[in-house]
Amino acid sequence: MADTTNGGAIVRLENIVKRFGGAAALSGASLSVKRDSVHGLVGQNGAGKSTLIKLLAGLHRADEGTVEIDGEAYDRLTPHLVEELGIHFIHQDRLLVPTFTVGEALFLGRELRIPGTPFLDRTGMRRKSAEILARYFGLSLPQSALIADLSAAEKQIVQITRALIANPRVLVFDEPTAALVRREADLLFQLIHRLSAEGITILYISHYLGEIVDICDTVTVLRNGRDVATLPVAETSATEIGALMVNRALGELYPKPDVIPGEVLLQVENLALAERFDAVSFALRKGEVLGLTGLVGSGAKEVVRTLFGLDLPTGGAVSVNGETVFSADPAEATEKRLALVPEDRRRDGVALDLSVTENTTLASLDRFSRGLIDHGSERRQTEDLVKRLQIKTDGIDALVRTLSGGNQQKVAIAKWLSRQSEIYLLDEPTVGVDIAAKVEIYRLIGELAERGAGILVLSSDIEELLGITDRILVFFRGRVTRQFTSSETSPDQVLADVTGAHETLRHAG
Amino acid sequence: MATAFLSSLTRGIGRYALVAALTAVFALFATLAPGFLSGANLLSVLVNNFALLAIVAVAMTFAVSAGGIDLSVGTAIDFASFAFVSLVLAGQPVALAALGGLAGGALVGVFNAVLIAGIGISPFLATLGTLFVGRSVQQLLTNGGNPVYLPPAGVPEAFRFLGHGTVAGIPVPLLLAALVIAGAWLVLSQTRFGRVVLATGIQASVVRYSGIRLSRVTAANYVLVSTIAAVVGLILTSTVTVYIPSSGNAFLLNAIGATFIGTTFDPRGRPNVPGTVLGVLLLGVVANGLLLSGLNFYWQQVGTGLLIFSVLAIGFANRKAAARA
Ligand SMILES: Nc1ncnc2c1ncn2[C@@H]1O[C@H](COP(=O)(O)OP(=O)(O)OP(=O)(O)O)[C@@H](O)[C@H]1O
Ligand SMILES: [Mg+2]
Repeated sequence: MADTTNGGAIVRLENIVKRFGGAAALSGASLSVKRDSVHGLVGQNGAGKSTLIKLLAGLHRADEGTVEIDGEAYDRLTPHLVEELGIHFIHQDRLLVPTFTVGEALFLGRELRIPGTPFLDRTGMRRKSAEILARYFGLSLPQSALIADLSAAEKQIVQITRALIANPRVLVFDEPTAALVRREADLLFQLIHRLSAEGITILYISHYLGEIVDICDTVTVLRNGRDVATLPVAETSATEIGALMVNRALGELYPKPDVIPGEVLLQVENLALAERFDAVSFALRKGEVLGLTGLVGSGAKEVVRTLFGLDLPTGGAVSVNGETVFSADPAEATEKRLALVPEDRRRDGVALDLSVTENTTLASLDRFSRGLIDHGSERRQTEDLVKRLQIKTDGIDALVRTLSGGNQQKVAIAKWLSRQSEIYLLDEPTVGVDIAAKVEIYRLIGELAERGAGILVLSSDIEELLGITDRILVFFRGRVTRQFTSSETSPDQVLADVTGAHETLRHAG
Repeated sequence: MATAFLSSLTRGIGRYALVAALTAVFALFATLAPGFLSGANLLSVLVNNFALLAIVAVAMTFAVSAGGIDLSVGTAIDFASFAFVSLVLAGQPVALAALGGLAGGALVGVFNAVLIAGIGISPFLATLGTLFVGRSVQQLLTNGGNPVYLPPAGVPEAFRFLGHGTVAGIPVPLLLAALVIAGAWLVLSQTRFGRVVLATGIQASVVRYSGIRLSRVTAANYVLVSTIAAVVGLILTSTVTVYIPSSGNAFLLNAIGATFIGTTFDPRGRPNVPGTVLGVLLLGVVANGLLLSGLNFYWQQVGTGLLIFSVLAIGFANRKAAARA
């Protein structure tokens, strides 16, 4: 019955208004998700996507507007009720408790009991999760493994499995691929096709418009807290969606200035870290943008960590401006004007409960204090960077926690711009960042290169690497297996080396 | 600078609530307790119920700001006191003995720093250990806990200055408390060190990833806590001209209480010096008011407990309301 009155919508949000303090995160947003569809939701950082999802999840309450599920209006949704209605979420910023085991994380709050007793049915839980992990992921994870020891992709798998255990009718993904390498992302897409075929309705948020076009039937575009279009994907394109998001044509996606690389800034010779990588050598020059890529465990990420002094290398040498770096100490790296924008920005990149200003100047407080902190110049610097990076915030005193995911990333970058670093190590710098902001970050990388900085970009987005770097080093099983000149290669060629296609051939032949 | 202090003193509705609570308690005792409002009593509140606890609580605020706690502030007080008395007994000049006292207190901080920043023991456990070790050491030093008296005839006049002296009519303990409060506020909210300490308490990994030597800051912070607490050891000894082993621990719970009252009422939930000072005032006024109302010691303790409960309840309600807005 309900189906006919609301056009088959399983979830319907109407004219939602949500304010935080004075600012409206949503100002009349509507979203209607048809049963059995794969529905995309896109918009710039801060457009209100996560807020809308959290409203549906019962984590926020709307100031105005209605939420309907199966045609029935609810004005007091709670997370518990929503789950009972069969709607489950893979949130963008909900972290798993790192000290939990996989088993605990999977069943937290809905533990299975041995029928008729208050005792936990451990065998039953183990069987059920193992079955789902094997069926959907072809994978087994030990129940006793600590969440803290899992890779980002594995954590994501735990979250999805947790939702699947509850037999969901609707699954909502808020930027699920942000944490995944491309190959893993492909697995996720297959999974979504499969879940969709099994009759689960999917709501999917992503900044990769290509993904949206590939896997969704319908897409809704949010802009400034309002839905500006809902289109069948068959009748649109990534370019059109992008233009709707930012309300203008996007222009050059990969702005890259021509810079002739100067003298060597960073020299890496035969660097090794036991069981992680070995015999890694390369040089980064002034004005150069060097790309690193590889699968999880290929060693690329570990090289970046080691360069910043987070791990102690077991062999080889690193020198900056001709001076050898001796210790595993981020403070020494920073003094040598290295900067790291870490992948896990909410843990290592920004302090969520410090303000935008306090985060921006944290690595460069010396510049702003002569005995006492000069609050005026600190604020001027922050305002300047907020403007330059187009960080969307309620003000420079707002806590970073209140910023949207992409804007938090920009603050993590601003911290090092304030420090006036010379060598930038960027670990997945545009993950979770909207296309307009991506272009901004690319432009910024170009600008830094023009000013004589050296930039190392670690990314699993190969198109991005080809667009913005001069050279690309491909890591496979702990070694640099290939070097490309970015302007002379294609995504397929790079990808073949990333996945080790050539390596296997070589071994076979 | 003074205006910055005032503005941070009164920022946000939460801080007003703390000032309002203080005013209410004040008004209550002014009507209930005879003699509460007299000038002599108010001065005694400031000197006896406020000055010393304020210094210890301010020290505690540094530890809590960094996301830790220091259960051994009393040990630092005792060590300072012991060193001070011993050096004076040994015939050293008072000024030198006082410096020795500060060093004695600081030593406790160095010990904490090694445990926390060096070995990586959690601040709670490390300082609890220091508290126990400190107690045993004092018993060993004093033949099982005998007080060390200064012979009444042999007390140099200068020795009594810290506890009994006045400068321009202001009692020295109060003056020292004011200096410590102002200095601590300056360091915690206006310097690079203070900012880093705060950031450590909020999200330590970001501090490390920002190229800041986390263990150095942590170590310096715990030495600072003990050194501030040591000032109380000096004043206390100068006041009573005796060192009593393990007597410093009397301040511990109230110092923690005052710090958390201040933290609870901060709009951002951050430990802060002005909040701590208001917390100490609140505790001090209540203790004195209850005393004058003629309640016995045990009911005074109950009163203090109730105060902390109600203050924290109001604070949490406030913050929840702010979060919902
Ligand atoms: N708890 C909060 N308090 C204050 N403001 C908030 C809060 N949560 C979100 N906002 C603000 O609401 C706006 C929308 O944020 P939201 O997280 O929904 O964006 P988003 O579309 O998910 O962006 P992103 O792509 O970066 O994740 C932002 O301007 C953000 O700063
Ligand atoms: Mg979001």
